Amino acid sequence: MDKTFDFEQVGKRLPYNVPDGFFDQLEENVKAKTHLQRLPVREGSEYSKGDAPKAKVITPLHSWRGWGWVSFGAAAAVALFFVVTKNLPISESQTDTFEFVELAYNNLSTEDQEFLMEVYEEDGFINDNNEEDYEKDF
Amino acid sequence: MVNDKEIISVMRQNTEKGFRLLMASYKKPVYWHIRRLVVSHADAQDAAQETFVRIFRNFHQYNEENSFKAWIFRIATNEALRLLGKQKGDMMLSLDEVTADMLGTKADNHFDSSDAITMKLQKAILHLPAKQQLAFNLRYYDELSYEEIAEVAGSTAASMKVSYNIAKEKIITYMNNND
Repeated sequence: MDKTFDFEQVGKRLPYNVPDGFFDQLEENVKAKTHLQRLPVREGSEYSKGDAPKAKVITPLHSWRGWGWVSFGAAAAVALFFVVTKNLPISESQTDTFEFVELAYNNLSTEDQEFLMEVYEEDGFINDNNEEDYEKDF
Repeated sequence: MVNDKEIISVMRQNTEKGFRLLMASYKKPVYWHIRRLVVSHADAQDAAQETFVRIFRNFHQYNEENSFKAWIFRIATNEALRLLGKQKGDMMLSLDEVTADMLGTKADNHFDSSDAITMKLQKAILHLPAKQQLAFNLRYYDELSYEEIAEVAGSTAASMKVSYNIAKEKIITYMNNND
């Protein structure tokens, strides 16, 4: 008996399937990878009613800009430190290094002192070296 | 369904809204196109995800003189080939290097073996040379024009029309002769 296959017997059916909710998950995964997740809406903000908020697209520019400000702040604090210490009247009794640094530090504003302490505490390189020196001494 | 011009226009004004429209229109066609090529669900998921990430990142490179649909399917096809190439040990395969054996051995648990005739049709399609397979799938399932298929495959419309007709004849022969 002759038989001729007819595409209409199958149409566009496929023998494949996907897990439940797969396509929603796919969309979420893509949004996460492209940083297109929706930001949380603050109560009473201009986005809490009506239109959805625009996504915050995190580009390298934003990150670099942030790091630029941090670097600029650190550089400014260091420069300020040297300017202050250079202009201090130094007497014979202040020639001791630690006293000299302490005096310079005391001449900084509270904000600058706190900033320097933060930088010092968070600087792994300085702290690691100190630990190594400590180990060498003992 | 939103048309491509509207998606492009909204994408340019509001990336998130435009991309949401694009996903709504294309996530299923793109996934199924890739799935027909790579067979396994896990592989199709990876390639589809990467396709949309690439579309998002390279949208500024899309040339409006070309078909948006063809541009999307070209990226999807390339991602499917890249994935198959990685599994073969190369970085990326060309269409001519993809073999039916490579494609036909990867079915996972996300397939319905009870529908015998659709299984047989997919097997017939997977036995075609890759270019004929692509021409057939894009025409039969996705209803792309021959011009659009040519853009996807990097060929000519006339050549893709020939590929489609040969593919169709081969499939009919396979379906009639294999039980």
